[in-house]
Amino acid sequence: MPPTPMASDVCTPLLSVRRLKTVFPLDEGTVIAVKDVSFDLHAGRTLALVGESGCGKSVTARSILRLLDRPGRIEAGQVLLRRPSTEQAGPETIDLAKLDDDGPRIREVRGGEIGLIFQEPMASLSPVHTIGNQLTEAIRLHRDVSKCEARSMAIGLLREVGIPQPQQRIDFYGFELSGGLRQRAMIAIALACRPRLLIADEPTTALDVTTQAQILQLLRQLQAQHEMAILLITHDLGVVAQTADDVAVMYLGEIVECADVDTIFHDPRHPYTRALLKSMPAMHATNRGRLETIAGSVPHPFQRPSGCPFHPRCPQVITGQCDCQAPRLRAIGESHQVSCLLEEAGS
Amino acid sequence: MTGPQSRADTRKLLEVRDLRKHFPIRKGLTRRKVGQVRAVDGVSFELLEGETLGLVGESGCGKTTTAHCILRGLEPTSGRILFRMDSGEVVDLAELDESQLRPLRKQMQMIFQDPFSSLNPRMTLLQIVGEPLLVHGVASARQRRQRVAELLELVGLSPDHMRRFPHAFSGGQRQRIGIARALALQPRLIVADEPVSALDVSVQAQVLNLLMQLQDKLKLSYVFVAHDLSVMRHICDRVAVMYLGRIVETAPTEQLFSAPRHPYTAALLAAVPAPDPRVRSQNEPLSGEVADPADPPAGCHFHPRCPHAEERCRQQMPQLEAISPGHEVRCHLARQLTLEGVEIPAAKGSS
Repeated sequence: MPPTPMASDVCTPLLSVRRLKTVFPLDEGTVIAVKDVSFDLHAGRTLALVGESGCGKSVTARSILRLLDRPGRIEAGQVLLRRPSTEQAGPETIDLAKLDDDGPRIREVRGGEIGLIFQEPMASLSPVHTIGNQLTEAIRLHRDVSKCEARSMAIGLLREVGIPQPQQRIDFYGFELSGGLRQRAMIAIALACRPRLLIADEPTTALDVTTQAQILQLLRQLQAQHEMAILLITHDLGVVAQTADDVAVMYLGEIVECADVDTIFHDPRHPYTRALLKSMPAMHATNRGRLETIAGSVPHPFQRPSGCPFHPRCPQVITGQCDCQAPRLRAIGESHQVSCLLEEAGS
Repeated sequence: MTGPQSRADTRKLLEVRDLRKHFPIRKGLTRRKVGQVRAVDGVSFELLEGETLGLVGESGCGKTTTAHCILRGLEPTSGRILFRMDSGEVVDLAELDESQLRPLRKQMQMIFQDPFSSLNPRMTLLQIVGEPLLVHGVASARQRRQRVAELLELVGLSPDHMRRFPHAFSGGQRQRIGIARALALQPRLIVADEPVSALDVSVQAQVLNLLMQLQDKLKLSYVFVAHDLSVMRHICDRVAVMYLGRIVETAPTEQLFSAPRHPYTAALLAAVPAPDPRVRSQNEPLSGEVADPADPPAGCHFHPRCPHAEERCRQQMPQLEAISPGHEVRCHLARQLTLEGVEIPAAKGSS
């Protein structure tokens, strides 16, 4: 039973990312994958990072866990993880961005305090270990329990994520399970040590709609039970609308708009957010109606536009301003931030 | 755009009757056959000229196998695929051999799902888009260049890029290249297998608009395979929902979405997350998983997951039955059940 948080703990975020900048120095040039990204994650809430491919949402998640592929590295910024006070020590804050990316301290955090679910369960489960092997490994890495205890805990976890006949399924290999069960097994592994934060990177993208609905419901239930914070990374706005509390829209490595989910869907202010919402084929639209599109495509990362990164595709571009002046993310309302010169001019 | 009335008058372009494709399961040293996967098990539908028919379903339902069988990319186990040629003559594609099939290929083409693996990385756009012309010997080198330039323009690419290789293009542009290649021989039937599922949402909209534009301009007929119901909603005139190798419901798009009659269709519609946080779904999602197509359940294949199943469903396979003109359902209870569809707001204009 975790100690009841004190009043001050309630509003302190579990994890704060501050001005994170992640770069990939390549032979052809340096790609700025994440630029000046800041956000907070609170216990029991879900923040969705939304954007098209190449917008830096996955790199942000990997930067938090220090799992960047080479040659990527964090160039600036902080990733502050707050730990509640325990019997041994008082509350502390550690900056994950400063840790050695292969050291014992970050390993303690990975899978312990922060769980991770990947997009493709087949590629992230080991083909030569059973589900049980992988689950008990995760448990025994972080907790001092015997093999036997770990196994019964593992069976409990499988039952919790809704896998039928967990006593038998624990000895199955990943490839013997269907897509939905595999993703459930992944979630069980991620939850093995009761993380306070779960990072879900496109958790349902590879799944069918009916399976997706099951997995999203499971995540909601687990979040309610354990007061977990969830960082949900997705490109599917339907999934965002159904699961997120807060939304950050990313474009070319920057957060362009950040607000609670209702504001994003009903009062979006950034032209990119608006365009993204409009271009979505809707279930209740008229048949054979023309879809709104965003002109052009996401620019190549080496050819980052000057000024506002969205200006070459923006329908409301102000020539002479948007292409030379980079807008800053600024608050335009309670918990609503936008990075657009139109908003700056308006206020 | 023609209404459904005048559509019914136009002639059938394609008629698929009782199509089956079974894949053998082999085991042991002698590779003896121990069973079979009934990937497509008695699928029938027709496609009118200028129409878009959607085949929708979850993975493993047989929609892609059906699409490949139509173009004889896969040999069907049995069934007839009647195609009306531009001369007006009807042929059974399932019976023809390779040499008889080859001249017909001009009239039917395919658009593939993955724009990254379906284009040869060592060929330029000119070679890729011009290859069908070369294979069918329909143009000299100069004519070919000219035709490729026309085609690239048609799909919204610049003819100046003809000498470039596919890697220089984004996902959406590559899919346009694939479309240009499919259009090179002026086909009448296009089978599109998940043409937009690998694309980002803003680019997906561009490609869908292009497909609809081209259809109006070139009088194309599409068999459109996808798993995304909201895409179907936009592009298809009629939709056929598949489950475990069989069609469980076909209806005109509006009708299928607003008043589904098969519990599986209703469950699929309910599972699509609504892009509005104010309408959060309270429904229990459909439980269980798609059964193994090598060992389908007795009776109605959907009964183990169906919330309405009764004794009859467990024993007897329902037949595909017309409950109103153009609306066919494979369910014992189709006439009794009232199922919830997707609300269609009163004429809101195209948004």
